[in-house]
Amino acid sequence: MKALRPVGIVGGTLVLAAGLFVASWGYILIDEWQAVSDLFRVGTVGDGWRFVLELAGLRDGPATPAFLEAGRWGDALALAYDTLVMSVLAITIATVGMALTAPLAVRPRGAVRPSGAGNTWRAAAAPALRWASYLVIRTIYVFARAVPELVWALIIIFVVQPGIVAGAIALAIHNFGIVGKLSAEVVEDLDPAPMRALASSGAGTRQRLLYGVLPQAAPKMLTYVLYRWEVIMRTTIVVGFVAASGLGREFRLSMSFFQFTDVALILLVYFLLVGAGDMASAGLRRLAR
Amino acid sequence: MAGPAPWSLPTPGKGGALASLRRRLNGRHALSVILIGAVLWSVLSADWTSGLIHGGGWAALGDLVSGFAQPDLSGETLGQAAKAAWITVVYAVAGLSVALIMAVPLALLASGTLVRHRRARLWGVSVSRTVLSLLRAVHELVWAWLFVAAIGLSPFAAIFALAIPYAGILGRIYADFLVDVPEAPLRALRTGGAGESVVLVYGRLPSAVADLASYTFYRFECGLRSAAIMGFVGLSGLGFQIQLSLNDLNYERAATFLFVLFGLIALVELWSTQLRRRLVLGVHRGQGVTS
Repeated sequence: MKALRPVGIVGGTLVLAAGLFVASWGYILIDEWQAVSDLFRVGTVGDGWRFVLELAGLRDGPATPAFLEAGRWGDALALAYDTLVMSVLAITIATVGMALTAPLAVRPRGAVRPSGAGNTWRAAAAPALRWASYLVIRTIYVFARAVPELVWALIIIFVVQPGIVAGAIALAIHNFGIVGKLSAEVVEDLDPAPMRALASSGAGTRQRLLYGVLPQAAPKMLTYVLYRWEVIMRTTIVVGFVAASGLGREFRLSMSFFQFTDVALILLVYFLLVGAGDMASAGLRRLAR
Repeated sequence: MAGPAPWSLPTPGKGGALASLRRRLNGRHALSVILIGAVLWSVLSADWTSGLIHGGGWAALGDLVSGFAQPDLSGETLGQAAKAAWITVVYAVAGLSVALIMAVPLALLASGTLVRHRRARLWGVSVSRTVLSLLRAVHELVWAWLFVAAIGLSPFAAIFALAIPYAGILGRIYADFLVDVPEAPLRALRTGGAGESVVLVYGRLPSAVADLASYTFYRFECGLRSAAIMGFVGLSGLGFQIQLSLNDLNYERAATFLFVLFGLIALVELWSTQLRRRLVLGVHRGQGVTS
């Protein structure tokens, strides 16, 4: 009876993608027709061009553009330093959170039998407990990463003073959800043989974790952590809009005061910071090999 | 063949000590030192003392928690949430489709698969790789703000802002996927006299299509998150509503929008996991089937 075969997930995805594409562009063309026609006005092109000129400092008249003053570079680099601190602090908090929770977030496997320590209620309850911790922590991970860093920052600043720490916490919560999930999956995909060998020679849970799981999983986890750090570097500026720290704060202020050459300077420093961060991360990954 | 001459033995001088130090300090050790140093430096540099928590911070936390425990489920709020969620989806889909248009040609160039001439290929690869890394260097919300400042509040500010960094990311990953395919089918095609475009369509694409599709879907999920925060610069969507509600200290309403965002992302993530399992691993790994 395979006449009414349901559409597979691949077919379903294709249908969904096509449907969303048509519906979204249809919505834009119909509901936002004004914006569409505005986009192709000559005035819009002129506005864009004027803005580029303002960034380049070619419209402000006599004032020296900020990016040609050495002192302003010093200020901007100091803000970049704050941003860097924020990003490292964020990935540190996220990694510590991951290390504390990921071992409890691994999907329980049927293969590893509970040690035959007698049929006490504790042995009977162990699988249920393991499933409960898996489900609870994985749900926390999903929630932590579903909410963008910026929204976390909007919430955090109700409690924590705006600043580097507030921004780092916001970044850390989101990335905790990502790094935690990735690390738990790394552990799930490990070769179980070393753990079994350790268990059969009488190693306890902690020893199995230290000598069986960690040596195998650590390199991959480190790679993920470093990749996330690169992403965090890019995002610190955005979180800084809200957490009022580092380059993001200055970007926001300069935009509000229409000091566009300052904006250009901040963007330049941001570019350099992100590029340097990518290189540092690549170098560290090479060291790990 | 003579063995190492006796006079080349390391003398116990400065060079020998340095060499043995370097032998002991291999990459892993250096890495540990750097990482521990970075962590300590960041923790010590941050200002932990001067009033980390607001005066009313703990009270605000209590209000937040109680607000989130009872989200506003009135018909009006739910209707607004549905509308905001739809706009978020529209921005994500439209942004991603523009990103694809930009990413595909750049990826073809960056993979260096279509050009046989050696020097032309090297030029194409390095130029397009540089362009891709420039595209993805700046965060989408920064682009959004710049676009809003340049052309005003328009959905196209969100769409282009999303499209630029996503084109950079997608283009690079696509190029890598196109390069990292098994060589044997390609060689077979070339032996049969196929040109590079035929090799691409019949050799590389079939090998890479599963990875390409599942990565694109994953990026859609990220695009939803990115579209949601476009509210920060005044463009509508879920983030806009969350921010408005938080500014009004209306935590119950903020909770509703937040949970809608969570539901949307969780749904797409679940879908994308299933799709990846089906495409990349061929069959279900046995996880989840036996429950």
